[in-house]
Amino acid sequence: MQLRISAQDGAPIYQQIVEQVKYLVAAGRLKPGDDVPPIRVLAEQLRINPNTVARAYLELEREGIVTMRQGFGTKVGLVKTLLPRREKLRLLAEPADVLLTHAHHLNVELDDVITVLRERDAAMQPESSK
Amino acid sequence: MDVGRLAWRTPTGAMLWEIWGRHKVNFAWQGVALGAGLGFVQWKRQGVSEIPAAVLALASLAGFVGGYLHLLSCFGYVEMDESKVKVGYPSRLLLKPLRTFQLILVPMLLGGLATTAMLDIWMAFVLKPLGFLPAYDLWWISAVLLSFFWWMQALAWSLPLVRFRSLVMVAAALLHLSVGVLPQLPFDISPGWQWGILATLLVTAVPVAWLGLKLMRQGTWEGPSRISLLWSRLFLARARGRRGTFRSALGAQFWLEWRRQGWLLPGLSGGMALLGFPFLFFVGFKWVGVGAPPPEAILALMFIGPLLLSGVLGAAMAKFNQLDSAHELPGYIAVRPMTNGGLVLAKLAMASATSTLTLLLNVAGAILCLVIAGQGTLLSKAGLATPFGAVSYLTGCLPALLLLGIMIWKNLLAGIGAGLTGRPWVVRLFGFWRGAVGMGLVALVMAAKLYENFREGLLHWLTGILIACLAAKIVVSIAAFSWGLRRHAITAGAIGWIVGGWSVCSAFAAGYAGHVCNAIHQPGLQVWVMLGGFLILPLADLAIAPLALAWNRHR
Amino acid sequence: MKFPSPSSADAVIAVSNLSRHFGIKAALDDVSVFVPRGGVLGLVGENGAGKTTLIKHLLGSLKAQTGSVRIFGLDPVLDPVGVLGRVGYLSERRDLPGWMRVDEFMRYTQAFYPGWDEPYAGQLLEQFQLDPAQKIKTLSQGQQAKIGLLTSLAYRPELLILDEPSSGLDPVVRRDILEAIIRIVAEEGRTVLFSSHLLDEVERVADYVVMLQHGRVVLNGRTEVVRGEHISAVLAFAAPPAKTPVLAGAHAVLGYGSEWRVLFGGSQRELETAAALIGARVVDARTPTLDEILVARAGGKGS
Repeated sequence: MQLRISAQDGAPIYQQIVEQVKYLVAAGRLKPGDDVPPIRVLAEQLRINPNTVARAYLELEREGIVTMRQGFGTKVGLVKTLLPRREKLRLLAEPADVLLTHAHHLNVELDDVITVLRERDAAMQPESSK
Repeated sequence: MDVGRLAWRTPTGAMLWEIWGRHKVNFAWQGVALGAGLGFVQWKRQGVSEIPAAVLALASLAGFVGGYLHLLSCFGYVEMDESKVKVGYPSRLLLKPLRTFQLILVPMLLGGLATTAMLDIWMAFVLKPLGFLPAYDLWWISAVLLSFFWWMQALAWSLPLVRFRSLVMVAAALLHLSVGVLPQLPFDISPGWQWGILATLLVTAVPVAWLGLKLMRQGTWEGPSRISLLWSRLFLARARGRRGTFRSALGAQFWLEWRRQGWLLPGLSGGMALLGFPFLFFVGFKWVGVGAPPPEAILALMFIGPLLLSGVLGAAMAKFNQLDSAHELPGYIAVRPMTNGGLVLAKLAMASATSTLTLLLNVAGAILCLVIAGQGTLLSKAGLATPFGAVSYLTGCLPALLLLGIMIWKNLLAGIGAGLTGRPWVVRLFGFWRGAVGMGLVALVMAAKLYENFREGLLHWLTGILIACLAAKIVVSIAAFSWGLRRHAITAGAIGWIVGGWSVCSAFAAGYAGHVCNAIHQPGLQVWVMLGGFLILPLADLAIAPLALAWNRHR
Repeated sequence: MKFPSPSSADAVIAVSNLSRHFGIKAALDDVSVFVPRGGVLGLVGENGAGKTTLIKHLLGSLKAQTGSVRIFGLDPVLDPVGVLGRVGYLSERRDLPGWMRVDEFMRYTQAFYPGWDEPYAGQLLEQFQLDPAQKIKTLSQGQQAKIGLLTSLAYRPELLILDEPSSGLDPVVRRDILEAIIRIVAEEGRTVLFSSHLLDEVERVADYVVMLQHGRVVLNGRTEVVRGEHISAVLAFAAPPAKTPVLAGAHAVLGYGSEWRVLFGGSQRELETAAALIGARVVDARTPTLDEILVARAGGKGS
C-alpha cells in the first residue's frame, strides 16, 4: 500500500491517510480481505507519528472500511458501509461543496462538472470490469 | 566605533590591532606590574628592611614571569581550530589573501621584537638591580629566549597533526636549554663558538617557519601522517579485543578521569625516575667520572620532582578535560545519572591511583639509580643485616615513603573545590588567595627569624592558632557535609570513605611527624608538628567539592 | 486565545510558570508545558526564543528561578540520579568527548544505565554504519549526531529529549534519525520532546506543538488544532488600499495592489467579519502550515 503524505497539505495527516485508503479501495487497488500494514510499520514507512496512523485506522474502522482484529492485524472490510441512504448523501454534501466552490471560482458550468464526474468514475473502475 | 580609524589600512596593522583589542586589559596589567617593579627598585635603593624586600622581589619576579608568558602566548599565534583537531597557526588567517611572509611578519618578527624588548627592559631595570641572575649576560639570555620562541613557533605551525610533535618540541626545548647554559659549563668553549651556535639557531628559525607554514597552507600535512597510520595499524588490533563492560558507574567515571589526566603525573615523573635519572647517573658516573654523590642527595633530587609536578598538575585536576581552558562541566558528563559526590569520588580515586603509581615508579627509579651509582651494596647490606636490622631499615623508609605519597595526593587535590565551581572568577580569586597566603607565610617566617619579640610572641600563641584552625576546618567540613547530604549531593557512604581516609592518613602523618621529632631530639616541636599533621590534609576542601560541583552543574 | 493543554495528572514533563532571567533579559517568561506519557511534543520558535533554555531546565542544568519543573514527578536538580537515569538526551551542540573512540564512549555510557540493551545498541551501530574504532572528533557532523542518538536510545529511556536533532544534517541522516525516533515512539509509554526548525518534521511526528517567542508560550496544543485555529486567506479589495491594510486578528499581511494574503488567528466567521470591516472580500481560505504560522507570528508585532 503506497501512500503519499504531505505535511504542507491543508488537511490533517490522519485525514489524508483516510482519504487515500478510501480512494485505493474505491479504485480497486485494495480489495476486500487485503491486509493493511500494521500501525507501526506504516508509521515508520511514512515517517509520521504512530498515534496519527492509529487515529486514521480508527476513523477507517468507524466508517466500516477496515476491520481491526487483535492478533490478526487490520484487513480491508468485506462489507460496504451500512449507513442509511439519507446519511450517505448527507456525508457527500461536504465534498460536493468543495467541488462546486472550485467550479464556481473557475467559472465552470454544472453540466461540465457532471461530465468530469462521469469521466473520473470511469477511470476509477477496476481493470477487470472495463 | 570607527574600525577604519583604529586599524591601519594594512594587513599587518589589522593583525596588530587584533592582538591589541584582544589583550588590552592584560597589557594594562603588565604596564602596572612594570611600574610597580620599577617602584620597588627605587624603594630598595633608598634602603628597606629584608623581609619586605624579599617578598617584593618575589612579587616582581612573579609579575615578570606572568607578563612574559602572556606576551609569548599573544604573539605565539598558536590556536586550536574549532573542531579541536589541529593546533597550529590560526586557520582563519591562512585563508586571507596574504603572502606567507606577511603571515609570519607579525608573530615572528614583531612578536620577537616585543618579547625581547620586554625581557630586556625588565632584566635591565628591575630584575638585575633586585639581584636575580647576576652571572648571565643580558644579550645572551635575550638571544637564547628569542631563538627558543622562534623555533617553538616554527614547529607548532609546521607540524599541526604529527602525533609526535610534542616530542620534537621537547627535544628543541632541551637543545635550547643546553645551549643556554653553555657559558656556565665547566668545558672550555670560546665565546666565538657559543655565539656561532646560537646565531645558527636564530638564523635558521625564520626560513624553517616560513617554509613550514607555506607547506601547511598548501595542505601538504593534511590527513593522518604515515607514522600515525602505522601507529594506528599496530594498535588497532588491540581495539578489536576490548575488555568487557565496566563493573559500575564509578568505575567508568574513574576510567574517564584516568584517561584524561591520571596517567600524566606517573608518566612524567616515573619516566624521569626510571629513564632520565638513571641515564644521567650512568653518563655521569661511568663516562665523565664525576664522583658519586651521597645517596641522600639522589633521593632528595628524585622525590622533590613529583612533589613539585603534582602541585603544577593539581591546577588542572578540577577540569574534566585539560584541553578546555574553562572549568565547565562537559555535557556528556552532566547528564549522566550520577550524584555530584560520585563524580568527586571518582576524582579522588583517580588522585589516589595516580599518587600511588607515581610513588612506586619513583621508588623503583631510586633503587635503579642507587644500583647504577654503585650504592647497591647499601641495599644488600640491609638484607645481610640481622632480621631486626632489615626490619628497622624498612620501617624507617616505609613511613617516609607513605608520607610522601600522601603529600603528592594532597598536592594534586589542592584547590579542587574552587576549580569545580566552574566560575573563572572563583578560580582566579582562589589563586590570588593562595599566592597571598604563601607570601604571608614567607614574610612570617622571615619576621620570626629576624625579630626576637615577634618570634617569642608567635611561638607563645602558635598552639592556640593551630587548634583554632583545626576547629574551623572541622566545623566547615561538618557544615558542608550535612548540607551536601540534605541536598542529595553526596551519599553517606561517600562521606564515610572521605572522613575515614582523612582520619587515618592524618593520624599517620601526625604520629610519624611526632616520632621524627623524637628521633631528631626536638620534643618541643612535637605538639605543633602533630597539629600540623592534622591540618595539612584537605578535608573541608573535599567536603565543599560536591557542593561546588552542584553549583557548576545546576546553574 | 485559549491554550488547551494536556492535563497535568499523568504528565511526564510538568513545567509550571517557569521564568528565567539572564541579567535583565528574560529568557523564559511564565512558561507552562505538560507532556503526557506516550506523547510527542514539538518545541518550535526562532533562534533565541528560549527552546534550549527550557530544555536545560528539564535536565537540571539550569535551576528554576520562579516556577517549578518536574520530570516523572521529581525535581531534576534535587534528584539528578532519579531523573537522568530515565532520560535520553541529545544536545544541540552534541557535547561529545572528542578524544574517546566510538566503542569507548558506548562502554562508558553503558556503565551508568542498568537498562542498557546490548543487542539493540549493536543493531543501531550497524544501522548507523559507525566504525567503533574511530575517534569521535574525526567523525562528521552527521555521524556525531548518530552516535549521540545511539548512546541516548540504547538504554531505552522512558523520556527522550532532543535539541535540534536534525540541525546541520543531510537528508539521508535526517531520515535515519526520524525513523529511529518514530520507532521509539511506537513502543508503549515512551515520551519524546524535541525542538526543531524543520517544521515539516514537527508536523509529521509531533502530537503537541509549543511555540516560544521571546521566552513566552504563544501556541500550545495538539498540532492539527493549532493549525486549525489559523487561516491563510486572500483578501480582495475593490480598490487598492493606500498603505498596508491593518486587519484585526491578523499576524501578517503581505501583498500588493488589490489582493493581499493574510495569516489570521481565528475562525472563518471571525475572518469574514473582520474583512468586511475594512472593506475586503475573502477570496481564498485554507489551513496554513506550521511554517507559515511561525514566520507570520515571528515577523509580525504579535496579535
